[in-house]
Amino acid sequence: MTLDYSKLSSGQTISSRAFKLDGETVREYVSAVSDAAPEEGAANAPPMCLAAMSLRGVIDDLQIPGGTVHAGQELQFFAEVGMGEELTCNAVLAQNSVRGEWRFLVVEMETRDSEARTVLTGKSTIMTPESA
Amino acid sequence: MANSPEVGQELPAVRRLITQERIERYASASGDFNPIHVDHEFAARSQFGSTIAHGMMIAAAISEMMTAAFHESWANSGRLKLRFRSPVLPGEVVEATGRVKSVREDGNDSIVTCAVEVRKPDGQPAIAGEAGVTLAC
Repeated sequence: MTLDYSKLSSGQTISSRAFKLDGETVREYVSAVSDAAPEEGAANAPPMCLAAMSLRGVIDDLQIPGGTVHAGQELQFFAEVGMGEELTCNAVLAQNSVRGEWRFLVVEMETRDSEARTVLTGKSTIMTPESA
Repeated sequence: MANSPEVGQELPAVRRLITQERIERYASASGDFNPIHVDHEFAARSQFGSTIAHGMMIAAAISEMMTAAFHESWANSGRLKLRFRSPVLPGEVVEATGRVKSVREDGNDSIVTCAVEVRKPDGQPAIAGEAGVTLAC
């Protein structure tokens, strides 16, 4: 069961999630993307780990169907984020259009730390099969 | 390179072997269990004929390269604009490369922009785009 994407409109909040940057998940992330062993006692998470964790809520809340393609990604990092930090990611639908057999969803997200400082912004372009 | 990049300078390349085990670990860490990444039967029926790696997993090689070149400036001021051009399959070795495209002074800062890409073994670009940092002079 997926969302009826045709009913989503630009400007609509599609995800608002709080999450913790826990050490175990960060180590698992590092072991997936890097040849270096996860650093024991590292103070900060890699920037792209922060992006992946922020996108997690977006992926869940959009109920993205199989066959979805991640077409593009923009990111801006504003600050290093320490392990254990409590974060909040809000995501808004910026664009929803259909071209041929694909629906293009553009999602803008902003992640803030526990003191409400912006640590990351991003814009994701995803293509879902229009028949999904 | 961290403090005085020059136009044309190459960034330290990052090579990475992509395996299904890594893809599954990435799925677990990111929560992205799209069947195109982890379900072999589903993926075999797809246009790719196989599971494929998450685009963001491959993009991590670019971030690693930017970290090696610009250290904490990358985490504090990094900018990325990427297009995912072609899928990376398990068993492929990819290489992230980059080159300084422009250095612009802005007050006490230098705005550095780099052309970046990740190529597959056959030379096809998997990802292409730009990455930049702001360096305090």
